[in-house]
Amino acid sequence: MNNSVLDKAQQLREAVRHFYRNEMPAGLRDKSHRHQVLDKQDYLQWMQLLDQKGWAVGHWPKEHGGQEWSLLERFVFEDELARLGCPWVIPFGVKYVGPVIYTFGSDEQKRRFLPGIVKTEEFWAQGYSEPNAGSDLAGLRTRAIRDGDDYVVNGQKVWTTYAQWADWLFCLVRTSTEGKPQSGISFLLIDMRSKGVTVKPISTMDGYHHVNEVWLEDVRVPAAHLVGEEGAGWTYAKFLLKNERTAGAIVGQARHVLDRLTLYARETQVNGEPLINQPLMRNRIGEFELRFLALEVASYDAVMAMLEERDNGGEASLVKIRGTELYQEVTDALLDAMGEAAMVFDPAALHTADGLPPLGPQDTGGILKEHFYNRANTIFGGSSEVQRNIIAKVVLGL
Amino acid sequence: MTTDLETIGMLRDSLERYAADNYAFNDRLGMLKDSSGYNEKVWNDLAEFGFLTLRLPEDMDGLDGDANSVGALMEVVGKYLMQEPFLISGILSTTLVARLGDAGQRERLLQGLGSGQMLFSCSLEHADDCLLEDNRLSGRLDLVIHGDAAHGFLVAVRTGAGEIKLGLVNASAPGVQRNPCRLLDGRGAARVVLDNAEVELLDTPADGLSIEQHIDLLVDEANAALCAEACGMIDALLNTTNDYLKVRTQFGRPLATNQALQHRMADLYLLRQEAFALTRAAERAISQPAAERSRIVSGARAYISQAARKVANEAVQMHGGLGITEELNVSHFYRRIMLLNNLLGGRDQHFSRFVESSLGAA
Ligand SMILES: Cc1cc2nc3c(=O)[nH]c(=O)nc-3n(C[C@H](O)[C@H](O)[C@H](O)COP(=O)(O)OP(=O)(O)OC[C@H]3O[C@@H](n4cnc5c(N)ncnc54)[C@H](O)[C@@H]3O)c2cc1C
Repeated sequence: MNNSVLDKAQQLREAVRHFYRNEMPAGLRDKSHRHQVLDKQDYLQWMQLLDQKGWAVGHWPKEHGGQEWSLLERFVFEDELARLGCPWVIPFGVKYVGPVIYTFGSDEQKRRFLPGIVKTEEFWAQGYSEPNAGSDLAGLRTRAIRDGDDYVVNGQKVWTTYAQWADWLFCLVRTSTEGKPQSGISFLLIDMRSKGVTVKPISTMDGYHHVNEVWLEDVRVPAAHLVGEEGAGWTYAKFLLKNERTAGAIVGQARHVLDRLTLYARETQVNGEPLINQPLMRNRIGEFELRFLALEVASYDAVMAMLEERDNGGEASLVKIRGTELYQEVTDALLDAMGEAAMVFDPAALHTADGLPPLGPQDTGGILKEHFYNRANTIFGGSSEVQRNIIAKVVLGL
Repeated sequence: MTTDLETIGMLRDSLERYAADNYAFNDRLGMLKDSSGYNEKVWNDLAEFGFLTLRLPEDMDGLDGDANSVGALMEVVGKYLMQEPFLISGILSTTLVARLGDAGQRERLLQGLGSGQMLFSCSLEHADDCLLEDNRLSGRLDLVIHGDAAHGFLVAVRTGAGEIKLGLVNASAPGVQRNPCRLLDGRGAARVVLDNAEVELLDTPADGLSIEQHIDLLVDEANAALCAEACGMIDALLNTTNDYLKVRTQFGRPLATNQALQHRMADLYLLRQEAFALTRAAERAISQPAAERSRIVSGARAYISQAARKVANEAVQMHGGLGITEELNVSHFYRRIMLLNNLLGGRDQHFSRFVESSLGAA
């Protein structure tokens, strides 16, 4: 491999660390470190900070404001942010719909939407899943019928993250019921202020509002907001999925929580001894370290394979399965280690920016919320089962 | 003292019927809004049934039930995710008073506890966090489940001479400060700070056991009861998930037709069977000598903690996005199981105790 790719990725990692230590506003850093709930303002501030560094769309082509990062740089960037415990880089604009628009959109769409995505001046949400189209996304039924210069859209989306903040929804709709299910799907950009759009919150066990139902009733969408060709939505959706794949954050997140567990075990005394000296705890952390090592080197190989275009289609699944499952088990172990402190859950306290963390030493306060939310890590973005199916079918040819 | 199977079946059925009528999932969601995290009316009904005297001998107006009969009710408690302090006040506190109190104390306290008018919480695991001097107690009781609502706290404390005593602190006495909080399953609790609070000792152990031995025995009984509660939840989660896989269709067929999921369900079923068998064994072990008793009880808890966690994780996963929502019982079971796994000793603590009593100390 060309050394300059590695060097550049390493430089980016160091720049991210430097930024975190020296430039990240303390309020945001602490809130994120405590896993408190970030509101829309926090995310706007965060995404705009990244934009000022040129990082929000670092992976985009130069002509649209990016830096043409290599896949490795993208990976390292996300990995390092997550290791440090930074806020989530909300992907819907910069990672998902932006590249679809600059690759398949009209010139008018590029002019209209890309600047707002780069600067996060407009919030996007992803309208894919429906009550009956989860793992089987191609089973989606939301119907769009052409009527003059508009499409008239009827249907229901579900699990739409941050739809309550969104200005726009990129949405998979059915424009034809003929042929294979995949072939009648189109990719529409829907203004959330349109008449007939209703957002209803879904409450979840992590105690804060992030997912929604989005009801679409006779919503008129200008045909100019169709991306690419009618009926080609599935191709764009798959393209988008590919962009979802280099998920460095999955690795970084596992590292972050493993560091927290280790710190917790070092600094917590049980019967006059650090918890980490107890054989069971030592062994457990050791096992996690070993699994993390395997995850880290295998992820790196996976990225290199994609970068050098010798990938076999199973790389992203490896990172997703191993990373999310390790992450979940490490938070389980951290909560176990916290014992009674992890029995108290106060969702209200998760919202107070400068309040004390709701529980326990080491700012482990919001770890319960994080743990609850991250049960979904193995469900969304291609569930662990779907990922295993991909390996079985695509790689092993079973 | 063993309760016959017929009586146990009747006890279970009566609570099951009551819960089916009054404690359906949506009823419970409403009750979660109650300030104490449990429902007064239900609590009174449980007292009416006599359940709060289940473990008391007949000469104390009890039903004279054994550990097995407690387990039968606890399974139902788990299945319906009941929030009331049945175990903590109705079984544990009541039995502590019965076995350690003198005649006057029993006379004074048991009637109120048995009728549900009086509610006690316990702090039995932090004997070294408090200081006992001249019938005054100072220190902290870190997390007392139902401590927000309790009228009294039963506190185990180690004296200067290294002896364990059991004290009763009136929750509204001077020097008692309680900071209420909510547990992750919605039940109430409190962090209690005692500053020279007056304490009444329960210092008349029955049956020739020491106070410490009595407390150990009762904690083991409570642990066996928690195993039964976990079984109720494991069973409910397994059934719910099984039903869901049959009705949820993706890729044109029910999820249940995927052999990958069938095998996982089969594994969960094995865990269920083992959990029930271990719970029965733990209940039987309550009448065994202390060493064997604690080996089996802690072994059961260690195994069942892990089994319950596995079942809860799998149930959430197989429900997809629905698994993490408030509107479905799955996430509520998930939370109660997390909580349970930290009550009266976590998995590691029980596992270590099991290893030590199986192999002898290293
Ligand atoms: C927190 C959260 C945020 C989300 N955000 C968004 C969003 O912003 N936009 C959006 O469009 N969607 C979003 N989703 C939806 C997500 O993509 C879906 O939940 C996911 O696709 C799974 O679909 P489902 O929930 O309907 O589960 P189902 O598809 O019903 O699956 C249930 C279970 O069965 C398994 N399963 C399914 N098929 C098979 C098979 N063939 N073999 C073996 N096992 C199988 C699944 O893996 C899963 O474990 C979000 C979901 C969550 C939980």
